[in-house]
Amino acid sequence: MTPTTRSAAGVAEPSGSGGDTETAGPVAKTRRRPPPAGALGFRIGVGLLAGYLVVAIISYFWTPFDPLGVGGDVLVKPGTPYLFGTDRLGEDVFSRTMVATRYDLAITVASVALALVLGTILGTIGGYYGKFWDGAIMRAIETFNAFPTLLFAMLIVSAVGPGILNIIVVLAFVGLPSYLRLARAEVMSRKTWQFAEAARMVGCRSWRVAFRHLLPNSIGPLLAFTAVNAAWVALITASLGYLGIGLQPGVPEWGSMIANGQDGIITGQWWVSFFPGMAILGMTGSLYLLGDGLGDRFDPRRRR
Amino acid sequence: MSRLGETMVNFHEEMRTARLVFTRLLWIIPVAAGVMTITFFVGRVFSGDPTNLYAPPQADAALRAKVRASLGLDKPLINQYFTYLKDLLHGNLGTSFTTGRGVGSDLLERMPATLELGTIALALGIVIGIPLGVVAAVKRDKWPDFMVRVFSLGGMALPAFWVGLILLWLFFVSWGILPGPVGRLPVNVPGPPTVTGFLLVDSLLAGNLSLWWQAARQLILPSLTLGYGALGPIARVTRASMVDALESEYVRTAVAMGHRRPTIWWYALRNALLPVLTMIGTTVGYLFSGAVLVEAVFGWPGVGAYALQAIQNSDFAALQGFVIYAAVLFVVCYLIVDLLYLAIDPRTRA
Repeated sequence: MTPTTRSAAGVAEPSGSGGDTETAGPVAKTRRRPPPAGALGFRIGVGLLAGYLVVAIISYFWTPFDPLGVGGDVLVKPGTPYLFGTDRLGEDVFSRTMVATRYDLAITVASVALALVLGTILGTIGGYYGKFWDGAIMRAIETFNAFPTLLFAMLIVSAVGPGILNIIVVLAFVGLPSYLRLARAEVMSRKTWQFAEAARMVGCRSWRVAFRHLLPNSIGPLLAFTAVNAAWVALITASLGYLGIGLQPGVPEWGSMIANGQDGIITGQWWVSFFPGMAILGMTGSLYLLGDGLGDRFDPRRRR
Repeated sequence: MSRLGETMVNFHEEMRTARLVFTRLLWIIPVAAGVMTITFFVGRVFSGDPTNLYAPPQADAALRAKVRASLGLDKPLINQYFTYLKDLLHGNLGTSFTTGRGVGSDLLERMPATLELGTIALALGIVIGIPLGVVAAVKRDKWPDFMVRVFSLGGMALPAFWVGLILLWLFFVSWGILPGPVGRLPVNVPGPPTVTGFLLVDSLLAGNLSLWWQAARQLILPSLTLGYGALGPIARVTRASMVDALESEYVRTAVAMGHRRPTIWWYALRNALLPVLTMIGTTVGYLFSGAVLVEAVFGWPGVGAYALQAIQNSDFAALQGFVIYAAVLFVVCYLIVDLLYLAIDPRTRA
């Protein structure tokens, strides 16, 4: 089994069931992987995330009440007509939590994807070609890493102004250095391995060796990191919303919904803030579980 | 080896360590310069023309030009940049346009509140997180492990501001056993004379025990909130690192030699603590971010609340000053962690 095919199989079916081809007797049995320790957590994570996606899609067609419908009953307790109660403006918390899924999920996925792609490309170049670019890139990263992430995001977002596109770009930019560093380290560590030498020997161009042979072997750790980073990005999105610098005011977003319910906590209306927080917990928690599962799967040292 | 030879080797080693420490200290200069450069360009390029903040909206072109000149904005960007760097190196972080005072002195005045909160939160994270991680590793894949993993996952997956609000709802609103979010002291309670700025220290210095108790009670919820976020990563890293250590050969040897289990755990823990140390260094950065959120929930008059106020008033100089402050402190913490590594782990000295 060459490293390339192993990783390709892993990417195609990350659900934990791949790898056991049961055709060839005892030899295949010994090669079969033991189930990863975090397999259950991994499945919970994938299932929950799929649930969030479904809710986000449903929210386009149907919500129990108008999510922006001001003027209903104010601060109703969670119960029959309003599952999660209503807020100070009479908006249905359940409908708003549903709609907010779109924004939080879209921002997280888009910015993480952007950072993953750009960071991986730059990191692969840095790791493979080394020398000048590598040094320059690494110095720049060290500097960016000196900023605590949320503060840096706060600084840029408050400079460029609110808006979904701005947030996506800023969060991608803030996250990019970590991907770059990881991709670089992965590619660098395999640059002189035999399969890379072999590829060079049969006449592959350098970019082909870097992107078609080395990079696919690094995709496992990158994906595991992506999941963990996505959880962090989701938290920052919510934090920006809570601080009131994320999206335009009035747009349903979990963080800003929690901020809206903050006064209610003191007067006893806990539900306005409570349910959006649970929604965040579900999403970030399942992303962490997903990251742990992928990490266990791709890192042989951790798989026990 | 002769006595003299031994001394020579020790001396040589010490020189090498000193050189390592020195290069490590020098490294802070380019990073700090980079931090300042980035914040400058983020400020000037993205945030638009600050003239609008200082000039009245009905101002005509001449007045605007005057304001621009007084802010130094009429000069080329590169000159502005060097002026800014010079100011920073003199400790001048600019003037906050809301408070009308220097950002540096504003931050300095509010720093003790954040440091007091952050220190206690970090201490809680370490004192609770490490034992939890050890328990989880020792009882791996059994129910204590499961509980610890869920609990520490919560610390990482929950937004700090939400945790703070829920704790307030439980302990203040529902049960009424802890004070509400009114800051460092109950309303209308005068603070102790300022010596260090830390209320817990100052009240003791003033010999006022009831004041100490009041300040401590105000601290409980915010520091638990912030500490829970710090605890998650610390417990997780401790667990992972401890699991590795428990499977190592020296632990197997210790088991074979028939040591008691606490002794063995202690051996393993001492070796497992290095990655934990790195994580604690990283946590300091989290504490600064978390402070912005937690201080907003609890009305805590620290630098985080100052930054939030700056955001809400689009007071860019104040926000920028805070971020530089945080970044430099963060780098210093990293440095301390690296130096501790040198002290603890002989391999890094080679």
